[in-house]
Amino acid sequence: MNGYLKRKAEEYRSLDSIDRRRYWVDGLLNNALYILMALFIIFTAVVNKNFLSASSIANVLTLAAASLPMALGIGGCIVLTGTDLSGGRVFGLTAAMAAAFLQNRAATKLIFEHLPNTSGPWIFAVMLLVMLVGAVIGLVNGFFVAKFSLHPFIVTLATQLITYGVILMFFQINGNGGGPISNVAQQFKDVVSGPAIKIASKNVSIPWYVVYAFVLVGVMWFVWNKTTFGKNMFAVGSNAEAARVSGVNVFKTTVLVHTLAGALYGFAGYVEAARLGSITAATGLNNECDAIAACVIGGVSFVGGTGNIGGIVVGVFVLRIIFVALNMLGINPNLQFIIKGSIILAACSLDMRKYLVRK
Amino acid sequence: MKKLLALILALALIMSLSAVAFAEEEVDVSGLKVGVFWYAFSDPFLSTVRASLNEQLDEAGIAFDDFDGNNTQATQLEQIQTAVTNGYNVLVVNLVTSGSADAAEQIIQAAGDLPIIFFNRAVEGDGEEHTVLDEHENIAFVGTDAPEAGHMQGKMIGDFLIENYDDVDLNGDGEISYAMFMGDAGNVEAIYRTQYGVEDANAVLTENDKPELVYFNESNTDKYQLDPNGAWSSAAAFDFMSTNLAEYSESNGNMIELVIANNDDMALGSISALQNAGYNLGDGESTKIPVFGVDATQVAQDAIAADQMTGTVKQDNVGMATAITGVLKGVAAESTLADCVSAVADSDDMFSVAEGFTNKLFVAYAPFTGE
Repeated sequence: MNGYLKRKAEEYRSLDSIDRRRYWVDGLLNNALYILMALFIIFTAVVNKNFLSASSIANVLTLAAASLPMALGIGGCIVLTGTDLSGGRVFGLTAAMAAAFLQNRAATKLIFEHLPNTSGPWIFAVMLLVMLVGAVIGLVNGFFVAKFSLHPFIVTLATQLITYGVILMFFQINGNGGGPISNVAQQFKDVVSGPAIKIASKNVSIPWYVVYAFVLVGVMWFVWNKTTFGKNMFAVGSNAEAARVSGVNVFKTTVLVHTLAGALYGFAGYVEAARLGSITAATGLNNECDAIAACVIGGVSFVGGTGNIGGIVVGVFVLRIIFVALNMLGINPNLQFIIKGSIILAACSLDMRKYLVRK
Repeated sequence: MKKLLALILALALIMSLSAVAFAEEEVDVSGLKVGVFWYAFSDPFLSTVRASLNEQLDEAGIAFDDFDGNNTQATQLEQIQTAVTNGYNVLVVNLVTSGSADAAEQIIQAAGDLPIIFFNRAVEGDGEEHTVLDEHENIAFVGTDAPEAGHMQGKMIGDFLIENYDDVDLNGDGEISYAMFMGDAGNVEAIYRTQYGVEDANAVLTENDKPELVYFNESNTDKYQLDPNGAWSSAAAFDFMSTNLAEYSESNGNMIELVIANNDDMALGSISALQNAGYNLGDGESTKIPVFGVDATQVAQDAIAADQMTGTVKQDNVGMATAITGVLKGVAAESTLADCVSAVADSDDMFSVAEGFTNKLFVAYAPFTGE
């Protein structure tokens, strides 16, 4: 470590004045997002000291954990230079399914009347089931993208519409007539959104799904960095033709990335069912936009083949910190859109700048 | 061949019989082809209206089709233009842009001389009264009096607070701090509910020598938190309320003591957030923050029964469907829309003709606290 710093210092000393200036300017611009966020956090904390209280930090963590699975899924699609517009609707469908399968059996109004009583294995089985449903939709996305070389924008636009139609039909089951699906079983809530850590004196409560989100981040980090599949994904994303020539199965990789994304939306929907306890047909609307925004803020580039899990986590946190901070500052909600948009624009421009400079 | 002939004859006989069955009803509705245009299939309350209306229209033997505007006024207008060319002869329209006279005028023009029944979402905005409904003979409106739900919610809150003031005032500072969740910035119903939900509660409080409600966050001058997607969603209310509760709590002595939401979904979202913080569990031990909504959806009624929610305002889905079906039957009998409206208004106490109008039918709201 000491040697590294010394070497860096040597390098810096050997630069002439122009290069030294460039060193600082580049450093500032490449990290502008982090610097701005740090300033923003300090500003918010000075104006409202509650912002950095234990309960507030727990809240940011909780909100971020709810949107992480979706962003982790969509990140892979962006690495392939694609996108996924169907994410929000898949999220909505799986949330509705999870809620319907795990309703409190004693409730008067049930979507499905003949289901097993809520038990540990059944709760786990429903998780696998909704992830499977998500994965199947993802598989369809991936198949059409890979088989017919269709742009994912078009394929997922189509599946978004199809999924929404299925959602509307799902809400009509058993005379529900489009009403919200609710009365979710308490056991299900306990294991997903029940508190994992609770400090009553500090008003801090961290639900289990935060723990799951951390596990998921670990798993996805492993998948992206340590598996052949992850390496193939980046190879296909940077240059599909080159990847094909060097023996990567582009078809399989594309299909798998979308399938994995779908399964993650399924998991996100599963968490949402427990988190909200009441799911409507509009649940999940525009969720994919936030997930895409988080990815691009975190440096997953539409250029393809670049991005990392850490960046996605940062992106998700940036969006949630903005949401919480603007609320705590009491700023007009309309401004939130302008600020969010500006940040996406700035983050992506700075990101692209790196590639332009390199060329 | 003979068998086939017999079959055709039998079918013809059945069909002529069913034609007789239609004729036996009070009015012949067989000439109607009704297009029902919903602002969004995903809206939970309107989905219950849709279920009731479909059932009643089927029962009355009226031919109809439902269309989903998907929350886009342009889509709805295009659907209506297509429907007009496709031979629909009565339009039942749930306007997307609630309270937009211009949007309504465009639809009226597209419909030519076909009768239109607007319902649920207002066609005339605040200060635009009589600009649409009085100008056309061939249209009617079936809905609720937009400010009424807000007034009713506000009064219910005021009455509740007078009864339970000291229990609600958790920190004992003599004032009640409240949170308000607004569904959609552009919707007149949402605007009225946001305004009157507080104003009318304050009126009751002032009458009883209590101080007015105080918005929990001084720095938010809007005094409401708005669903950024305009979707009246429980998810938006949940995220806001979770964030609020991270900052405002009993241990800080500034807990939010009352929650007012524009609809039941938002009320339920805030209840989920409260439950995560250990409130409103309905177990008889946890502190219950009074939460008020509007619509009286089944889920909200269950929550009130489970002692997790305090009150809501019932918007009657069956009543609205009955009113629309009633007007449609009148149209089939070729009476003017004003006559249809007054006939329906006379049929039940819950319906009334709006003051100063001939073609505007109100379906009454009712307070609902589970009693």
